[in-house]
Parts: sequence; C-alpha cells; structure tokens
Amino acid sequence: MADDSRYYQVGQRPREVVLHPAGDEPLRRHRVPFTRRHLVKWRSRANPKSLRHERRLSDKRPLWWVLGLGALLIATPFLSNSMITIAAIFCMFAAINVLWTLVIGTAGIFSLATLAIVGIGGYAAAGLNVWIALPWPLMFVVGGLAGLIVGGFLALPSTRLDGLYYALLTMGFAEICRVFVVQLKVLGPTNGSINSVGSFIPRDWFLQRPGLLMGFGGAFILLLLSLLVFRIVNSERLGMRLQTAREEVGGEAFAEAVGIDYRQARLYVFLITSGCLGVIGAFYAMFYMSISPSIFSLDQLLLLFAMIVIGGLGRSEGAVIGTAIVVLIDKGMLELGPLRILLIAAIMLGVTLWTDNGIAGIRDQFRTYRNRKKSEARARRTEKGGEVMPEEAIEFTDKQEVYYRRFQKRLRDHLKTLITDDLIEQHRKAPLGKHSDALNRVLNYFRRGEMADKYAIMRQPDGFHKYKVVAFSGERGAPPRLVDDKTYEDINDAYHAVFLLRVNDLLES
Amino acid sequence: MTNTRIFGYADPLNPKAGQSVDFMISVEGRSEVDAKLVRLLHGDENPDGPGFIEETVAIDLPTQLAVKRQYTQVGSFARCDDPDARLDGLRSFTLFAHVYPTLPKSERQMIMGRWAIDGNMGYGLGIDPEGHVSLWLGDGDTVDQITTEISLMPHAWYFIAASFDANTKQATLHVINRVTAWNSRISTVVPFEDDSWIEETMRVAPSATGDTADFKLAAATAWNPQRGKFAAFLFNGKLDRSGIYDRVLTRDQVTALSTGEAPPQTGLLAYWDPTDGISKTGIGDTITDTGPHGLHMQGINRPVRLMTGHNWRGADSFHMAPETYGGVHFHDDALTDSNWEVTHTLALPADLKSGVYALHLRAGEAEDHIPFILRPDTPRAKIGVLLPTFTYLAYGNEHLSYEAPIAQAIVAHTPVITAEDLEFKKLEEFGLSTYDHHTDGAGCCFSSWRRPIVSLRPKYRMPAMNFPWALPADLSLLWWLEHAGYDYDVLTDHDLHAEGVDALKPYKVILNGTHPEYYSEEMMDGTEDYLRTGGRVMYLGGNGYYWVTGLRAGEPHCIEVRKLDTGSRAWQAEPGEGHLACTGERSGLWRSRGRAPQKIVGLGFTTEGMDASEHFERMPDSFHKRVSWILKGIGDEETIGDFGLAAGGAAGVELDRYDLMLGTPPHSMLLASSWGHSDNYPLVSEEVTYAFPGRGGTQDAQVRGDMIYFTTPSNGAVFAAGSIAWSQALPCHGGENNVATIMRNVLDAFTKDGKLPGSQYTGDEKLWR
Repeated sequence: MADDSRYYQVGQRPREVVLHPAGDEPLRRHRVPFTRRHLVKWRSRANPKSLRHERRLSDKRPLWWVLGLGALLIATPFLSNSMITIAAIFCMFAAINVLWTLVIGTAGIFSLATLAIVGIGGYAAAGLNVWIALPWPLMFVVGGLAGLIVGGFLALPSTRLDGLYYALLTMGFAEICRVFVVQLKVLGPTNGSINSVGSFIPRDWFLQRPGLLMGFGGAFILLLLSLLVFRIVNSERLGMRLQTAREEVGGEAFAEAVGIDYRQARLYVFLITSGCLGVIGAFYAMFYMSISPSIFSLDQLLLLFAMIVIGGLGRSEGAVIGTAIVVLIDKGMLELGPLRILLIAAIMLGVTLWTDNGIAGIRDQFRTYRNRKKSEARARRTEKGGEVMPEEAIEFTDKQEVYYRRFQKRLRDHLKTLITDDLIEQHRKAPLGKHSDALNRVLNYFRRGEMADKYAIMRQPDGFHKYKVVAFSGERGAPPRLVDDKTYEDINDAYHAVFLLRVNDLLES
Repeated sequence: MTNTRIFGYADPLNPKAGQSVDFMISVEGRSEVDAKLVRLLHGDENPDGPGFIEETVAIDLPTQLAVKRQYTQVGSFARCDDPDARLDGLRSFTLFAHVYPTLPKSERQMIMGRWAIDGNMGYGLGIDPEGHVSLWLGDGDTVDQITTEISLMPHAWYFIAASFDANTKQATLHVINRVTAWNSRISTVVPFEDDSWIEETMRVAPSATGDTADFKLAAATAWNPQRGKFAAFLFNGKLDRSGIYDRVLTRDQVTALSTGEAPPQTGLLAYWDPTDGISKTGIGDTITDTGPHGLHMQGINRPVRLMTGHNWRGADSFHMAPETYGGVHFHDDALTDSNWEVTHTLALPADLKSGVYALHLRAGEAEDHIPFILRPDTPRAKIGVLLPTFTYLAYGNEHLSYEAPIAQAIVAHTPVITAEDLEFKKLEEFGLSTYDHHTDGAGCCFSSWRRPIVSLRPKYRMPAMNFPWALPADLSLLWWLEHAGYDYDVLTDHDLHAEGVDALKPYKVILNGTHPEYYSEEMMDGTEDYLRTGGRVMYLGGNGYYWVTGLRAGEPHCIEVRKLDTGSRAWQAEPGEGHLACTGERSGLWRSRGRAPQKIVGLGFTTEGMDASEHFERMPDSFHKRVSWILKGIGDEETIGDFGLAAGGAAGVELDRYDLMLGTPPHSMLLASSWGHSDNYPLVSEEVTYAFPGRGGTQDAQVRGDMIYFTTPSNGAVFAAGSIAWSQALPCHGGENNVATIMRNVLDAFTKDGKLPGSQYTGDEKLWR
C-alpha cells in the first residue's frame, strides 16, 4: 500500500451563480398555468460554510434548452439558404428522434417502425390532399389518425415479442411499406412518390428564402411540440408508472406487485407517439411538397438510429444533440461525399466504445469516474477507522468525531501492545471482577464501543445456562444478529468468547 | 419464534383485597387464551436459588378469556375540543405558532392543523422530510402545498405563520427566527439566514374534514380499517403559543405576533397559551384557549409541560417567570397510557392473602404474567414489605443495553438478552423508561403502568447485568419471608404516597425492597413521620430515597422525574426545565434539596458496579452490646454474604455509605462494611467535586457498602444494609445462611413491642482495655 499521508489543501471558490433572497421580503413563486408545477425548479440551502441562504436552479436543463434553441432561432434567418434547409431538417429529425426516444426509452419498446409510421402518415395525408383536395390544415389530422391506427396495429405484438424479435418485426414492417408503395399501380409513373402536395408554404415561395424560413419555422414549432409531448408523458403519471417498471432493482415485477399496469402504460405511450409521428409525416410531405418511398428505406432508418445512439438513449437532449451532429455531417458536409457516412460510423463507434450512454450521458459518466478516482485515492491514503484526511474532514458535521477517530486509533495502537497470552488467560479465569490494570484498560475500551455491531450474549430458550453470541443492530426496533452458531453452557465461557471476538477485532483494526 | 404474542397490563398495579383489578390484554394470533391467577413466590430462575415458583390461586376467573389485538397510540400531541367544528371548513385563515423543532425526520411532522391523511382533506402546517416548513391544503382529491426554501435548524426557536386567502387562493408562509442569547442551543452569533417569506397562488382550496379529522397540535389524523382513527405525522419538538385566525394577517401583524405580543382580536378563532393555568403546583394536560370560543387542547400521552418557551431568559424555574414557560415538548415515541379496552375485571376477595400476584396467560408456546401487587383489605401482619413501585415504573421497559453505548462500561458486563425481550423491543409500542431517550435525544421523564411492562415479568432479568432487577429481585425477599415463616403484608410506594404515615403505622416493622430509588415528598414525609413515632425500618436496598419524583393528583399510574445537576443520571434536563409539571416542585436528587437519604435511614448512595458483588465484614461497633444481638450467631471474623443471586455476593450492585456530613444520625453504629470492590465500582458523581484519578473500589475508601443501626424516638429504629444485592443473597443455601441469620435477629427484635434489645447499654464505658 502506498503510504501517502501528506495533507493536501482543500477548499474551492463557488463556481455557480447563486441568489441570496432576503428573508424579510416576499418571495413570489410562479406556476405553470393550470398545474401545480413551478416554471423552473429552484433549490435552496444554508451554505454549510457560511450558513448563508443560497438559492440556485436545481435543474438547469430548461436554461440550456432556452439558450440552445433560442440561438438556433435567432441565428437561422442570417444563414444561407442551404443552411436554413439543414436547420429545418434538423428540427424535423430531432422531433422524430425525441418521440422515438419516448418509445425506446420511456416505454422500453424497441421499435424500428418509427420512420414507417411517419411515412404512412405522410402518404395518407398527401394522398388525400392530392386526390380529394383535402385542405392542408386537415392533413395534420389525417396524418395523426393514420399514425394512430398503424401504431395500434404495431402495438399489438409488442407485448408478446421481446426486444430483438420485435425490432426485426418492425424493420420488416418498414420494408413491406416500401415495397407496397413502390408497387402501387397508381404511383407507378412517379416511382412511388406523390408530388405537388399542398402545403402551409405558399407554392410561389417554395424553395425561395421566405418559403425556406417558413419551413424552418414550422419545423421548429414541430420540435417544440414534440419536446412538450416528451415532457408531459415523462413527468406525468404515465411516465412515472413506467419509471417504476424500469428500475433496476425489482423493475417490472415490483411495478406489477404494487398494482402498476406497465404494459398498458407502454401501449399508451406507443399510441401517443405513433399519432404524433403521423402528424410529423404530414408535415414532412408538406415541407417537401412531395413524399417518396425513400422514407421507408433502411439507410434512412439507420441514420436516425445513429443519431439516437450518438446522443444517448432515453433523454431528449441526447436525441437533439445526436441529430444535430449527424445532420450537420450528413447534410452540411456534402462535399465530403461517402466519407461523411464513414465519419458518422466512426463517431458512432467511438461513442459506443467510450461512453456509457451517448454524449448526453458524458456528464454523469465523468462524475462517476471522478468519484471512483476519489475513492481510490482515499483508499490509498486512509485505513479503515484511522486518521481523517482533510478531504474527508469536510464531510464531518461534528468535528469532534475527527478527534475521536484519531484518539481511538492511537488508543487501539497502544492497547494492541497490551494483548498477551497471559492477559487472555487472566480474562478466561475470571471474566468479571477485579483485573490487572492492562486488562481493565482493554475491557473498558471494549465496553465503551458504539452500539452498532456491539456484541451481546443471548440466552437460549431451552436452558438457563445456554448462551450464544449476538451483535446489536444499533437501531431501535431492529433485532441483533447471530454472530456464530456456537453454544456455551457456562456464562463465563460466553463472556470469554465475546472477549476473544473483541480482541480479534482489535488486532485486525 | 412463536406466532402468538400476548401482552397485557393491570390497572391499578396496587389493588386492595376486596376491590377489583382490570386487565387490559392484547393478543395476536389467537382469539382465546388460557388464564389463571397465580401468586408469585420467587422469580429468578437461577439454579443457585429456589428457581421460579408460582402458586395457582383458586378464584372466580374464567379458564379462558376472549382476547383480541389492541392498538396503542404512541406519541404525544394535543387534540382540540371543538364540538361546533369552528375550525373546520375554513375559507381564509392564518395559522401561527412559536416552534422549536428538535429532529428532522423522514416523514412529515405536523405542527398544527386539521389534516386527514387518508382523505387528503383539510389544512395542515408542518415540516416536510427535508426540514422545510410547509402548508398542506387538500380538497379530498388533490393536495397542494407551499413550502419554504430553507431547512429549520434543530433546537432553535422560530415563529411560523401560514395564511390562505380563499378569494385569491394566495397562500403565504412566514418563518421568522427567534433565537436569542438564552432560548436556543445556538446563540445570536451564528450568522444563519433562516427567515423566509413565500407567496404562491394555490390550485386547491381546503375542504372541510368533518369527522375524518380533528384539529390537533403536533399530529395529523390517520385512519386504517383495523385501527380506525389515530394520530400520525407526529412532531418532535417544543411548541409555545399558537393560534388561528379566520382571515389573512398582514406582514406587520405577523411580525408583531412573532415578538410575543398579544394577538389582535379581530378574526381570532383561538389562541392557545400554554402559560395560562400554570400554578404553584404545576399544570395538567390541557392547553388553554384564551380566545373567544374556549377551544381548549387536551394533551395525549402527556406532552411535557413547564418547558422553557421562546421568551425564556434564564429563569431557574417557572415559579420565577411563568410567562416564559410556554414550551410544550412533544415526542413521537411518548406513551403514558395504552388506553386499551378492559379484557377482564377480576374481583379480589377480601380474604385474599396479600402478596404479589399475576394473571398467567397462556396460548400454545406463548405466555405472559401480568403482575399486580395485592394489599390486604386491612393490615393483618406485623411486618409490612414496602414494594418500591415508583422504582418499578422508573425502570419499566428500559432500553439501556440496546441503546446506551456506555451501559456496558457502567455495568462492566456483556449484556445477556433473551428472545422474549427482543420480541418486546421489536414492537416499540410500549414506551420508554426514565432511563431512556426519546427519538430527538431528550430524556424521558414519564413512566406509566398503563402499558405492558416487560421488566415487571417475574422471570425477567435485566439484560445489562444478567440478574433480576426491581420486582423480580424483590421476590427473593418475599420468598425468604415465606421460607422463614414470617407473616407479612405487602404495600407499595403508591400506598405510601397516597396515605403517608397512615399506610405504615399499622406495622411494627417496614422492610424496603432492593432498590427504593424514586421518592415523592409525601413518601419521604411518611417514612420520616413513621420513624419519629416509633416505627422501625429495615432498609435493605441500595441507592434509596434518591430522585425527587411526583404523581399528579388522581393519576397514580404515571410518575414524573426530571434528572438534573448531579447524580447517576441517564439524561440531563435542559437548563430551566428541572421542575416537575405534575407538582411544581424541583426534581433532581433529594440530596440537592436538603433531604439526603442519610437523614432518614442513615445511608446514602456512594457507588455502583455490576461486575461482581462482594461480602460484608463485621466492624468493631458490632461488638457493642447495644447491637451485638443483631450479629448473634455470626463469627467475629466471618465473611457475611459471600454468595448471592446478584453477581455472587450480598454487597454489591449499588451501595450506600454512612456519612455524618450528609446527615447520618450521630449515634448510628457501623456494624459491618463491604470490602474488595473492583475499579468498576467508582465513587458516584454527586461526591465528585474535583475530578482526579483513583476514585474506584481499589483506591477509594468511600467505595463500600455499610450496615448500620440507630434508634429513633419512641422505641423506633433503623437497621440498614446498604446494598441492592442483600436480599438476593437470602435464597442461597436453601434460605439458611448468615445473611438470613442477621435478618432473623433483626426481624425477631423489631416485631416485638416495647424496648429494643441492647437499649439498656447506654452508660459510659469505663474500661481496662
């Protein structure tokens, strides 16, 4: 063991902006309308070093979202036309991925039919627009309904098939959709595409700057709406129920035991997202004013999958960050040609190799890593029950404990030198009553120990002089534990057995 | 472990023959138990003595009793008398209280309100698990809350107010720290910023709770189908003045209230002032409402009264400044009355022999002895055995071995526990002893017989030292009296407290139990009066006449003691909180109030140790003809009592010493003293002024037990053997031993009328040697 007993200085300046609310002035808290929720989550504490009241944002994610999305919104009008398109595509794909994250992350259903549902929503909406002149606002409704119906069908096998098989099934479903559309006679002349679809973008502005900006605006709103859906599902009852089913300990079995129908909750989440994906499909058709079978294609699906994997599963920020990276490379670096696909693959490989849960999980991963390093360093620098180092002392509220630790350590070091065969023999002969000074000191140390795990003797019900050694829990109401199975027929033997256990503990400390 | 559990208690603990006694029994796993009445003759199962002996008594008692599980309300709180439901269905309101929290807890703690936990109904002001102040509003479906930002610091006074405006649905919370130089654990030098003023618009308005809840201090109302309604979300800490308005108070009004100003009357519904009703003789369980409607609060499980309030400024007691004693301390583990239904009432025939009895219940493997102490209808014997029931209660259900880290160092033993003990402790339903701490660390000052008490069971051995203690130990004395053929009556501390000297007067001699430690003023006076008027006392115990203890008039089941200043004390009352709420007198040691035990029986506490008991040796005084009759049959250098069921000797456990400076009568004769104690017998703390090393048995001559004799007016006398272990030596060697010889000598003399033996030898000795 490395003997590093240097005293390193600890102490840091505050690195976060905190507020100091005055106690004699009203602090008004605001809520999200029609709910009991607060707009943002604050946390207050008395700073343990200064005892001052400090108020800070407990969950800073809303701040980052506003900054990130706000920057996108403000910057986009100043970008080139192609970049505006990329921004719009980013928003659209991000919206899809956020919803997909709901399916995979929250509901835990490994569905690869996401784009298929988008496509079916898009085809249904576009078809009705083109053939029966459905006005464009109603296309959203049609897309949503189509998504809901398909989602309903796809949901059925999800409870019967597990993980991989369901993924294969849904992938197959996407392929069936593609083949079906391509072989439709009506769409034969256009290779399965529906063109000249009506849109919220006036036809004259299509592919013009104002039209592109409108398209971006629509996609941006779409992203906001999907984030809202994500948030509502996850923080309301539905998401809470599923959260329970996802717990590592107990998980589904526990959820079932406490009366949570998590299967039903999963179905609901699947249906909700399917409807929303259908709406996105309608938007997709309007955005391009056409829709083609490529939406069902495998490469498109896998590109989306790459986004989710790179960003990190189960978190909306992961879905958005992953989308941003992949879309930027895929659409923004067209000049790289096929290399950009390799680049995406490389990033994906790197992320899977070195992160636990994508880019969004890096912060947690870093904290875990730092904590592990900290524990390792402490383990090197301290021995159990020994000296308290400065970096540990900050964790003691009662600083007297720090002294006790050092005192007890030195006391033990001294008492260890008193343990001899003679001393043990002296105790064996007379566990109670007058003892030598050395034995008195050792016994008094033992007797003054803390209650948790302190030894006691338990009289057995089948005889007055039958004893076993137990150890107290130290908690009111919690029974002691049996130390071993030996039975003693003389109380003095039991006293001595406890003494030997304690001597052993002392020498091992 | 068995699935059937039997617990019960008798009320009163000290019935008289010809009266009746109620048994409250709770049984799990059975609906019927076998019952019989037994007289307890010996408790200790130690094979060195006679073992456990009981004698079945034929009496009119069903052989089987129908029983059920009974539930216990643990925790102290106060319930409002509000027959017209004035505090229900409030629209706008303000709640306020002076609060001194003592323990952050993993569940909510209610300060005040009318909150139905089960129905999510009503309103409640409390502290959430993070230590924030919180106002809960419930409409029967949804709960809404407003919470402060900062956790309260334990052991500091705050003023807390919460209001709700029904029109705007705005709720407001005010927390104003009221720490002064005097009233809290910390002082004003601490720069903490705990004040808070929060406003928020709520979504929910509170609904009326109707019968599902009542207005309480320190608790909310819970319900479950087996138990019905009970109190939960119990608060730990002190509450001083509190009240409620049917309107929203302005900030200025709140600030004024926080300083302790009288509340403005407009809209005032109730104002509970714990200082109202404090008299020279203490205060009861009612917290008076001095507001317009008289909605008084009734304390359950004795919230501790006469505690220092938010405005306390160092007064030694409430006698000096009662207006600063508004503190009422609530504990979530207090229990002074299990309040069970009576399972059976047993009529006790007038001719039933006085003694210690028990209702013996059995169901399969499980059994319980529910003891009670029967006094004769009229005194019948010359010998009265005064069983120290105050001490029995003081030690009732003690947790020392389980919870006090220093207990093993005090008793110098590894504890020996049993399965029955664990079963009892596991439930945590039956309250604490005056040796235990509440969950917030405060000492427990009450102990009651209206609850099952495991340490009263006849076979019970105190785990800390593995021998019987109190009642089970005193049975050794009773067994020996039976064995030696003496006729005796038993009576209790409670009888002496109630009747004073009249309780003792009918007897030629009074024998003490092994440990008569807890004494009320009435008991001290009764004993002293008895001795002054020719009574004879055999003080056969250790550490007697020690703690100032009180009973509230008419409520004998619950003793109160405050441990303070000095003495072997399991806890220490906070400054200014040393007076008994039940009598108003100062508690602590009798010695600190001018009545050291030496002034009554000549001996007083000097040392304790539980590792090994030793023997007595004759001292030269014992050869004087005034007293030599006491040691008739004992050799000049014979070791007296080198045997015993309490750690193997007659001199041990807790020992008392002769000391003229503390009031031992100057003509007392030192008959014998104990020798050879280990250093696990240290000199007691009340004797330690300067601390220096070497106050243990091997180095300090004050560490010993004495045996003395002195006469009192009108042919009265005291024989005192100052050792708890004395009576537990009697059953050894079949009850025939030198301790027993001394007992016979004294008893035979003390039960005779007229002059005592040796009383003629009062001349000046003119000696050649």
